[in-house]
Amino acid sequence: MPVNLALGHVSNDFLIAALVIYSLSVVAFAGDFAFGRPRRAGTAGRVPQERATALATVGAVGGADSTTATGSPGVQAPVGVPAPAGDQDARGAGGGSGGTDSMPELAVPALRAIREAGPWVRAGVALSSVGVAAHIVAVVTRGLAVHRAPWGNMYEFVTALTCVAAIFFLFVMIRYRAWSLGVFVMGAVVVALGLAETLIYTAAGQLVPALQSYWLDIHVTAMTLATGIFFVAAVLGTVYLIVDRYARRVAAGRAEPGNGIIRRLPTTEQLDRLTYRTIVFGFPVWTFGVIAGAIWADQAWGRYWGWDPVETWAFITWVLYAAFLHARATAGWRGRRAHYIQLLGFTSLMFNILVVQVFITGLHSYAGVS
Amino acid sequence: MVVLAAAVSAGVLLIVVLVAGWGGSGKSDVTEVDGSPSAVLYAAGHRPTAPDFSGTTLTGSKLSFSSYRGKVVVLNFWGSWCVPCRAEASTLAAVAALYRSSGVAFLGVDVRDTTASALAFTRSFGITYPSVTDPSSAITLDFTSVVPIAGTPTTLVIDRTGRIAGAVFGATTYPELATMLAKVTGKAADEAVSR
Amino acid sequence: MTDVRVTETDPFESAAPERDGRGPASAATGSFGTGDWLKWAWRQLTSMRIALVLLFLLALGSVPGSILPQQGTDPAGVQQYFSSHPALAPLLSRLGLFDVFGAPWFAAVYLLLFASLVGCVVPRTFRLAGSARTLPPQAPRNLARLPASAEYATALSPEQAAEVAARVLSGHGFRLRRSAPTGLAGSAAPTGPAGSGHWVSAEKGYLREVGNLLFHLALLGVLVAIALGGLFGYKADRLLVQGTSFSDTQTDLDEFYPGRLVTAADLPPFSITLNTFDASYITSGAQRGQPNSFDAQVSYTASPGGPTRTDRLEVNRPLSVDGAKVYLIGHGYAPEFKVTDARGQVVFDGAQPFISGTTGNFLSQGVLKVSGAEPDQLGFSGVFVPTAVDIDGTLESVFPAADNPVVSLIAYAGNLGMNSGPSQSVYQMDTAGMKQLTAAPQLLRAGQTLKLPDGQGTITFTGYQQWVSLAITHDPGQLPALICGMAALGGLLLSFVVRRRRVFVRATTSPQGTTVQVGGLARTDASGAFEDEFASLAAELRSAHQQAAQDQPAQDQAGHDQAGQDETAQPPGQAATVRHEGE
Repeated sequence: MPVNLALGHVSNDFLIAALVIYSLSVVAFAGDFAFGRPRRAGTAGRVPQERATALATVGAVGGADSTTATGSPGVQAPVGVPAPAGDQDARGAGGGSGGTDSMPELAVPALRAIREAGPWVRAGVALSSVGVAAHIVAVVTRGLAVHRAPWGNMYEFVTALTCVAAIFFLFVMIRYRAWSLGVFVMGAVVVALGLAETLIYTAAGQLVPALQSYWLDIHVTAMTLATGIFFVAAVLGTVYLIVDRYARRVAAGRAEPGNGIIRRLPTTEQLDRLTYRTIVFGFPVWTFGVIAGAIWADQAWGRYWGWDPVETWAFITWVLYAAFLHARATAGWRGRRAHYIQLLGFTSLMFNILVVQVFITGLHSYAGVS
Repeated sequence: MVVLAAAVSAGVLLIVVLVAGWGGSGKSDVTEVDGSPSAVLYAAGHRPTAPDFSGTTLTGSKLSFSSYRGKVVVLNFWGSWCVPCRAEASTLAAVAALYRSSGVAFLGVDVRDTTASALAFTRSFGITYPSVTDPSSAITLDFTSVVPIAGTPTTLVIDRTGRIAGAVFGATTYPELATMLAKVTGKAADEAVSR
Repeated sequence: MTDVRVTETDPFESAAPERDGRGPASAATGSFGTGDWLKWAWRQLTSMRIALVLLFLLALGSVPGSILPQQGTDPAGVQQYFSSHPALAPLLSRLGLFDVFGAPWFAAVYLLLFASLVGCVVPRTFRLAGSARTLPPQAPRNLARLPASAEYATALSPEQAAEVAARVLSGHGFRLRRSAPTGLAGSAAPTGPAGSGHWVSAEKGYLREVGNLLFHLALLGVLVAIALGGLFGYKADRLLVQGTSFSDTQTDLDEFYPGRLVTAADLPPFSITLNTFDASYITSGAQRGQPNSFDAQVSYTASPGGPTRTDRLEVNRPLSVDGAKVYLIGHGYAPEFKVTDARGQVVFDGAQPFISGTTGNFLSQGVLKVSGAEPDQLGFSGVFVPTAVDIDGTLESVFPAADNPVVSLIAYAGNLGMNSGPSQSVYQMDTAGMKQLTAAPQLLRAGQTLKLPDGQGTITFTGYQQWVSLAITHDPGQLPALICGMAALGGLLLSFVVRRRRVFVRATTSPQGTTVQVGGLARTDASGAFEDEFASLAAELRSAHQQAAQDQPAQDQAGHDQAGQDETAQPPGQAATVRHEGE
């Protein structure tokens, strides 16, 4: 079936629109940082440090709260909770994050919480949602234009994975009322999309015969989903490292507590738990994607694993995220070190997509980038 | 508990070490000629039966292997593109001439070749015995089920009852071929000539 | 022997606490025997820290395997690397960096990792099996301190209340532990002053550990499956020109890579003929020249003399025959030539496959070695251009289909070096013993003849055929690897989704009759679902207690009235004091 170029143009227009709207949402979230309403302790649901249970909302402001927020420098394990310190029980997948870990839903429903968070947050959430809608339209019309799943080359892959990341983050942000993270994640999405549009844009086209298989829908879809999810986890991990560094500097007396920006960010524990749960969500998807890729490789190339460079780097990425999960269950490796590992895993993922597929010849050279 | 776990790991290691190396198998009833593992003689009673085949010769006439029953046959698998085949070609031509009057027939199986090149080959080396073309390696496939033919050239010595008495895997030499033929025909090379 | 694992049978602490190099038993006496060192080494190996280090090494070790050319997949690239880095390449080769995934050090890393895995997983499996017989811990004294708790009164006696609670919880699949009945002296679980209460301790979610162990054991299974494939599987390649056939026997395969325990005799005896091959390309637009579809029509017999079947072979659509799978990997052009030598004999008449390189549009190169030419052997090195267009004096191919085929040849005469020495590739020619006959490459269109200088003969470009490259593979470890992979995924999901949780019920006598306290906690509750579960459990317990109280015959009229007053005070159906942290 011939490619529908008109729809391809429509897709591109919607993508540019999404890019613009996302940028505006980043501005709105940044405005919330600078001019936003202080968060009320009530809606924040903060609990005294002795309980130290996980929280649903983030970013309390106020004198007493700020000390509790910053007064937890590098405290990795929760304090004073009758749960066993056996975080190391989970060897491998699903390491415990410690404590009687519950993030209860707030009694305040989501829409009211958005309203109460202030006009900047309202604008940010609204713009993000509209941007996501435009982004989804862009991806779908691209798929309709080429009569197949719209992740057949690198440009399509990046636009699809940023869409997954945006949708996933929107869900996380609203659920956990994590407004202060909007500027970071949506900002990263804007950067990624912008680079995709300018550097690796590929017009809608057909796939080479090797890719004309229903396995494209299975393997690359799984990889797209997993990469989008890991994208969010990487941004959250970066924010964690920023907050953690600040907290440690405050504890060492080298920085003043009460930094306006950091105060509005979640605590290290909240970020740590959020990142952990994101990776826990993404890791099985990535594992499934690798298995599906192996099945497809057997159909197409005659062997299910041949250490093709892209296969090798997918394996490296998997091992690094497995190391993250192990690290979270290993004393001395939780916290900062675990997040370094996680970011290393995401770096290897990006290296795989941007460098290995383009510059290293192998069976996976379908980037479509010349 | 520690011991048990160590034992299980050792078991796993053992399985994987199998990947790293494994010895070959031995064969009895086979003697090597001149100590060379690539030239073997099969003891009487342990000789595999040569499968029957028929085909077209390089000159276009039909040939059936069954017509060779009662003679000792030297069956040579070759190709004009194959360097060791070219190296042994003169030897085969010479031994063929030597044993012609003793009831030993030479027959070639031309593998993965084209007729023009193959005819040029026979011209170049003075090979006068016929060769059957085997474009799809069907004949080779048949023989591989009874002897482990691994490549060209391969030379089989088939006794009068149609059983494979000896095999050379690779280029053959005059002494090798002569020894084998002496064993199978019961005549030494010089005896053959004097007839 | 000292066992650093937790002695308490509490499954929440099912793993040993972090092994961080605690000394062996005889540290107290100050002497370290070999056995102690081995034990220490084993504990180090199976510690989380070392597992982490090994995971890093595995990831790091894989990096050169993707950057440097590897012997198994790109031997030509390895050769090229040697020639372009003459000093560095031998060093890298000695380190095994041109065959990373078969190198001993890489094997050491993953073998140690799996040994570490087994050393941790096997004891935990036994502990999990053992914990199937062990009980949850005692109920804490003050359940109100737990993250989720509820409290209400009931008319039942503490013992009866505990009984009802046990029934309800057991109905939900919890594993129970009960307080000893009162009246027994020296009960194992002290409940404080006589009459302070009965309790039920319930736990659920052991599947999490099952999932965890399943995941890790399945990884081990994948390793074994890979080993199986390496032992009993094989791979082979064959380039097949249109109109020709081949049989699956070692002499007729271009490359044969048997597994360790595989010999050529294990090859299934099928034959395949390539009847036609069609490749279509995109003719216009931005993707002009990109392949659109390939398909090969083949006929095959599974064994000699068997019925002939036909099939279509495509990329992503292998042919299954005799337990092996045949894949269409690539394709190319084989120009046809007719060569006569100086004596006028036809010494070559057929197709010679040419190989296309990385330049696009199937510009292909090849050699033609005419070893039967007399008196001098002839050789030709050539370029086949499918759609030839002259661009600034250079002949280039502008489209992959053979719309305007041209062959460019350089002729040689002399000794090809084929009469002795090692085997030669049919795609390479050694011109050391040859004289170049033509100064410049000669172009031939289909049907044209080139007369060679010095009366050496003629060569005619008669036409072309297409060829396909096939991969024949057999891997008995494939299906086990898939099954283990899916099992690993299942175990992973199980370990992430199932939560370990505990619910406690304490029934104590109080002024109102019996106060029932319910408390619960969960580890790593991912979504707040435990709160919902606890709330519904508490409500169910409460209504079960009410039901039991009503069903109880009215022995104690006063107690019954008392309970009735309590009932009206707290309307049924409302978990009045269900408290959750954070509200």
